Amino acid sequence: MLIMNGPVDDAGHEDPGHPERPDRLRAVVSGVEDLHLGDDLTLVEPYTATRAELTRVHEGSYLDELGAFCYEGGGNIDEDTYATYDSWSLAQYAAGAGLAVVEEMRRHDGAVGFIATRPPGHHALRDRAMGFCLLNNIAVTAAALTGEGERVLILDWDVHHGNGTQSIFWNDPNVLYVSTHQWPLYPGSGGAREIGGPDALGLTVNLPLPAGATGDVVRQALDQVASPVVDQFDPTWVLVSAGYDAHRLDPLAELALSGGDFAALAAMAAGFAPRPGRLAFFLEGGYDLSALRGSVAATLGAVVGSDFRPEEPTTGGLGVDEVHRAQSERGVALRIALGSDPGEDFL
Amino acid sequence: MNQPLRTIAVGFDGSPSAELAVRWSFALARQLDARVVLVHAVGLLQRLEGADAPERFLESVHRLADEVGFDRRRLGWHVTDGDACSVLLRATDEPIGADLLVVGSRGQGVHAGLMLGSTSLQLAERATIPLVIVPAGRDAD
Repeated sequence: MLIMNGPVDDAGHEDPGHPERPDRLRAVVSGVEDLHLGDDLTLVEPYTATRAELTRVHEGSYLDELGAFCYEGGGNIDEDTYATYDSWSLAQYAAGAGLAVVEEMRRHDGAVGFIATRPPGHHALRDRAMGFCLLNNIAVTAAALTGEGERVLILDWDVHHGNGTQSIFWNDPNVLYVSTHQWPLYPGSGGAREIGGPDALGLTVNLPLPAGATGDVVRQALDQVASPVVDQFDPTWVLVSAGYDAHRLDPLAELALSGGDFAALAAMAAGFAPRPGRLAFFLEGGYDLSALRGSVAATLGAVVGSDFRPEEPTTGGLGVDEVHRAQSERGVALRIALGSDPGEDFL
Repeated sequence: MNQPLRTIAVGFDGSPSAELAVRWSFALARQLDARVVLVHAVGLLQRLEGADAPERFLESVHRLADEVGFDRRRLGWHVTDGDACSVLLRATDEPIGADLLVVGSRGQGVHAGLMLGSTSLQLAERATIPLVIVPAGRDAD
């Protein structure tokens, strides 16, 4: 069964000509409809994240400032990021959707969660909007789960490094953050030597990949470098920052994945989960509408047992050397930080 | 602080405000015999403008240098991915090694009067080296 947030009218968060636009959600919903899930799809009522839920990951002063800015009509926050009068309420819906979906998942054995909201979230910092993101949606849900004693793996396969999520959980021993992303690319962070703060050493795993990397390379990076860390961390929940701008058609980046690759990555994410019912996908980027629709269907089809047939997975691209380099650099950084051999599992 | 000021990093996004900051920096650098490194952050949307977009900015930088007679050999150009605030904060590290940051008071396309997204105000909070914010309407006198 798929548990998904119910629709809200997001037309008010739009800047004409901007690639982060309402059509994205329509494409995503079409992708879900392509699976023909019938009674196996449950939509939950829209839920607005409370201030207490937001301040687990954001500064209260930032929330006040963002809310006031939107109330006054909004505008450009930086070169990339905009807000409108409606953005504050829509961002609160986006941040609350994961909480509502997780709560509903607990009422259904083995359900998969999908949070399809905008604006996206993984670039949003504790005190700053950036990269099209206002509130860090996945972080709000992850923080709620860790507050209940859960250990959360966040797997981020958006083509851009999720600097906001990494920063928020940098020193949190209850969150393992794993990111595959194109590098160099916005936002400039996400090097393999970024491994986490003193209380969470090794719990940030960055796998930077060159332009032209294909799906087999992304899977190899996760298999070779991230899987041992995931095994040792032993997560009780897996949340995925599911961006689709790593697709070969996306206009904002140059990775070379296909819909079939996202199906394979979704299956890997399911394998990281301790048991069915502990896996949820959060929409992040993805700006080519046909790629977005097909990739969402491929992702969800792979984990809900649909017979949807996505594009073939891709192979033979660049990046194998970079995977080895990332593993080596991560090992060096851990040795320096720990002052000793961290052991095979952490490498 | 008695160390000589050797490298001035200036945020440059092609806006009139950034041009003012560059002119001010050229004037200061000539007095101090310092180097000026113009730092350009490539954001998400700039990827849509094509790979040569930063090069167009470089042309206008050279024009500015020539206008005020600043020696191009003392001029550096650093293009990197990221948001302007983070990129400028990293300018203190190698390879730039800046010991002064200079920015205009308002960047390209950013809402006038907005505190939330002001690169200059965010830098003022976070910078670990001296920061100069060149106000709009001031020339490099």
